[in-house]
This record gives sequence, C-alpha cells and structure tokens, in this order.
Amino acid sequence: MWDNLISGAVAALTLANIGILVFGTFVGIVVGILPGIGPMVGMVVLLPFTFAMPPDVALSMLLGVFCGGYFGGAVPAILMRTPGVPSSLITSFDGFPLTQKGEAQTALSAALLGSFGGGIISVVILIFLAPLLAHVAANFGPPEYFAAGLFGVTLVVMANRDQLMRGILLLGLGLWFATVGIDGATLSPRFNFGTLSLQNGLHIVPVCLGLFGVGQTLLLVERKILLTDRMNLTRSTLDFSKLRVTLRYWKTLIRSGVIGTFVGLLPGTGSILASFMSYEAAKRASKRPQDFGQGTPEGCLAAEAGNNAVPAGAMIPLLTLGIPGEALSAVLLGVFTINGIYPGPLLLIKEPVLINTLYVSIFLINVAAFLMLALLLKPFAMIVRVSTTLLAVNIMLISVIGIYAVNTRTFDAAVAVFMGVLGYILLRMKWPVVNLVMGVVLGEILENRLRESLSIGDGNPLIFLSRPISLVVIILTVLIVVIPLYQDRRKMRRQVEGS
Amino acid sequence: MNQEPKKAQSRTHDLFSAFLGVFAAFALITSPWNVDTEGPDPFYKGPLIFPVMVLAMMILASLPACMRLLSPPADSTWRLDGEGYPKKTLVVLGLLIATLIGLNLIGLEVSAWLFLSISLYCLGHRGVLKLIVLPLVITGLLFLVFKHFLGVFFPTPLIVEWIWE
Repeated sequence: MWDNLISGAVAALTLANIGILVFGTFVGIVVGILPGIGPMVGMVVLLPFTFAMPPDVALSMLLGVFCGGYFGGAVPAILMRTPGVPSSLITSFDGFPLTQKGEAQTALSAALLGSFGGGIISVVILIFLAPLLAHVAANFGPPEYFAAGLFGVTLVVMANRDQLMRGILLLGLGLWFATVGIDGATLSPRFNFGTLSLQNGLHIVPVCLGLFGVGQTLLLVERKILLTDRMNLTRSTLDFSKLRVTLRYWKTLIRSGVIGTFVGLLPGTGSILASFMSYEAAKRASKRPQDFGQGTPEGCLAAEAGNNAVPAGAMIPLLTLGIPGEALSAVLLGVFTINGIYPGPLLLIKEPVLINTLYVSIFLINVAAFLMLALLLKPFAMIVRVSTTLLAVNIMLISVIGIYAVNTRTFDAAVAVFMGVLGYILLRMKWPVVNLVMGVVLGEILENRLRESLSIGDGNPLIFLSRPISLVVIILTVLIVVIPLYQDRRKMRRQVEGS
Repeated sequence: MNQEPKKAQSRTHDLFSAFLGVFAAFALITSPWNVDTEGPDPFYKGPLIFPVMVLAMMILASLPACMRLLSPPADSTWRLDGEGYPKKTLVVLGLLIATLIGLNLIGLEVSAWLFLSISLYCLGHRGVLKLIVLPLVITGLLFLVFKHFLGVFFPTPLIVEWIWE
C-alpha cells in the first residue's frame, strides 16, 4: 500500500499535474463563488479539454473543480447570505450573522479550516476504506453488480421521494437514452430512427454538457445581477490569527469530516445532507447549542467540513464498484470510461498508481484551495460582481464549441443544445435532473449486468435471490423503498387525525 | 405510491410527465421496428429486454400524472413559477442554434463573435467594451485554444468556398 502511495505521490507531484490541478481548483473556486453556476457547470465545460490529457491529469483537473467548488461556495454564503453551492446554505446560518457582527474573518477562517480539515479527513478514510470495500467487491459477479447498481439508483430516486414519479420518469428516460445506438453485445442498432448519426449513441459528454453547461446557463439568462453592497471584508487576505480561534473546535472538525465522508459514500444523499447532519451533530454535542444560528464559528466549521468531505466519500463507491453516487462523480466515471478504464474492485489492483495519484491529488487540491482562498480572499469575493448573463452566454458558447471539438461533429453539438433545452425545462420545473444523469451513466452497466446475470441463470430472474450478496443487497433495496414510504404514510395519517 | 406534494401543483408538471409517458409508449410500440432482434439470442440475452423494461417503467410512472391531467383537482392551475415567459432565454437559444449553423456557413470566428455580441446586446449590455472588445477577446481565446493548441478541425466556411468559386 505504502509503495503505491509513494508512486502515486511521485506522479501527482509532477509539474503538469500540479499545474492542471491548481487550474482546476481555481476554476472550481470561481464557479463555486458564483451563485447559480456551481462545480457541475465548471466540470462539464472543462470536460472536452480532458480528451487531450492522460487520465490522471484529467481527473485531477476535474476533481479540482469538484472540491474547489465546495470551498468557494462558502464565501458568498458568509458575506451575502447567498450560497454559491446549495450545501453552503447551512454555512450561512452562522456565517452571515457573524458578518453582520463585523466578524466575517472569523466566519471565513472557520469555513476554510472546516473545508480543509473535512477534505483531508475524507482522503484518509478513502485511502483505508476503498481497499476494504474493493476486497468485498472482488467476490461480486454480474448479479451482485446489478443488485448494487439497482441499490444505487434506488437511493438516488428515494432521495427525491417528494417527486417520486418524476424521479422514476427521469431515471427511465436516462436509462433509455443509454440504449440508443449500437448494442455492444449483439451489434444490433437500437432506436436510431433511421439516422446514421444516432448509431453512435447518446454519449454522456454531450448529455451532461447540454443539461448543465447549456441548460443551467439558459436559466441564468433571466437572472438579475447580484447586489453586493453588504460585502464586508476588513482585509484582502484571510486573517490568520482567527484560525487559532477556530482550531479550538478540532473535535467538531473530525466528527463532521467523518459524517461527511460516510454521507458522501451513499448514492443520492448529496452534500446538503452531509452539511446538515454535521451541523446538527455539532449542535447536539456543543455546550452552547443556543449559539447555533446566532453566529458561531463552530457552525460554519461543521457545515463546511461536512460538505467538503463529500467528494472523497463519493469516490469510494465510484472506484470500488463503478457506481457514482451523484451527478458530479458520474462525470468522473465518464472520464474513466472515455480512457478505457472501468472502475470496479479490480481497478485498485490493475491501476494502483492511478488510484494513489488521485488520493494524493485530492490532498493537494485541498491544500491549493485553502491557500488560494486564504491569500486571495478579496479578489475571489469580488467575482460575484461579474454579471451572470455575461458569464452565461460565454459558458454556453464554450460548451457548444467544446462538444463539437470532441469528435468534430456538429451533431454532438446539436445533441448538447437539445439536452440544454430539456435541462432548462427540468431545472425550471425543479425536477430532479440528477436522476436523468444517473440513468445515462448507469444504463449500460445495469443493462449488461442484467443480461449477463440472466444468461448465467438461463433466463431465470431468481438468480438474483439465489446468491447471498445479491439477495442481501436486494433486500436492502426493498427496505429503502418500503420504510420511507411507510413512514410518510404514517406521518400523513397522524396529520389527518391531528387536524 | 404517489408521493407528490399535496399542495396545489401546476398542471404543467402533469402535462410534461404525460408527454414523457406518451413518448415512452410510442418508443415501446415502435421498438420491434427500431431494434434489430434478428440475432440468434433468446429474448433475455437480446437487445430488447432492457429497453422494454425501462419504457414500461416510464409509462407506469406517468400514469398518475395522466389521470390528474384528465380529471384535474379543483385548485389546480397552469401557472408554473410566476417567473414569466422566457423571452430572453428563447432569443439566446435561437442565437445558439444559429451559431451552430453558422459554424459551417461563416466559420467559428465570425459566428462566435456575432453570437456573443448579439446575445449580450439582447440581454441589456451596452458599450463598446462589452459588445465588441469582450466578444473579440473570447473569440480570440476560442481560436487559440481549439484551433491552435488542440488542433481541432473546423470546416472551411461555405461562404468562403462560394466566394472563391
């Protein structure tokens, strides 16, 4: 393990990797600070550029955007009560009251320390937990993989169970998109409606770029410029003396980092839940719980440590099972598969240097993001003054040209624009777009594993119940559907009886 | 099973769900013509089993919305979010589609510059800096990154070919 880690460190510390990682982190912080844009848009816009890069460098850049986005999201949440990323909303509960008291530097110190600590703790857990999970997953055959994939998509659907039917519809649409084109196993064309262009299928890159790079920015076109009068920073860099104050909360930092990592590990849970659970745990453990919500640095630290532990946590199921937990890690899976690397239990054995390079890269990204924000706090905070519409049209154009550049096919760009329109409609109606992305990404995996499993069982679907691991996973899948629905029904019945 | 919130929902959601359901039904009905199943594999190994399952799931999930669409609750409305008609979005979308066509017709540089300038003008930006200089800078960057550094092939603009002929 240590030899691989050292080899990974050597690969991660090359000038090319560090340069690209710092660039990715910079982009991540910028898109994280800009409310409404977020790391997903940053990642998909950079996606076409990764085709010219080796996989470790490409992944380092995208991971930089992923983690940098969470770092950056805290800045407008604390200074303006406008979360840059959704999970920073929890940070604003205590961050903005601190800013109103003239203690913005304390809040930012706590948030940055929390983000940094959460990120580092999650990398350490990733390094130790991923091989253990991969060891278990080494016993997996097609039925177990199918059951695990089913468990993952069920968790994602159930995470948005207030829109259950819409979630299932979008998941189905995503899974159907994945079937368009030539079927890999039989080489039969499917759903190309007589056009040659659709024979190559709907690839994840134009789909994601369209949904987020074009769809999200079409939504921003109607948005007004943010008011930034209340931005209150006493100096252009972070006040490092305030860091010592926040170091008192080291127990909260460790607890929140651990909670965030394990929440990130579960598909569909997302960073908001990680932030919220960490915040609540810190409040419960605090000697002064009444201070939470009034402006305590401990609240900012807990929320940020929780959400910044999510990226490394989400890497655990991605690397060991090949199952992404959310849209952001689904894009990372896309980069792996584009480079002919298929995440799963054997990945840790086949590509130990690549995996360890990623571990070290995540560590370096956290260091880079912390230093960048600490030293250039005011210039970064000023980014919110840039007009959203100005950014939106530029991102849109870069997305469309970028997607054309991947295969030099205007058809791919047209797919991205079509997906952009679909993404705009879904985002405007607040439907769970993540289900669509998960469907597109997991469609091929689920289909192949299903057909392989049925082949093993001579067409008998009971194959899934005849193997212990797949049986346990399927029982778990049934439970995560039945229990919340039963609880919801009981709650509703109580409300009816109460009224 | 339906867990949609009980508060008055816009009928637009139901309409869109129903549209997806109808589309799934169309894809399912036409699947024997759209999927080549001539191979020797039994159904469970073949290319049709998964799409059939997925499309059936979509149709089932759209049924509650279809029912609500046919017999709407008393307090239902078509109003979506009160954000109004997306005029600016449609203009920018139209310009983006025109840019795609323009890539072949007038080339990357001119279409990118025109898209940025006209879009920014339509979105209320004014001044030489925002309408001419900034689009020129971004177009220059696109040219440098895609054509120069990445060596991406962009077709010779048709208009140039016509002029030469």
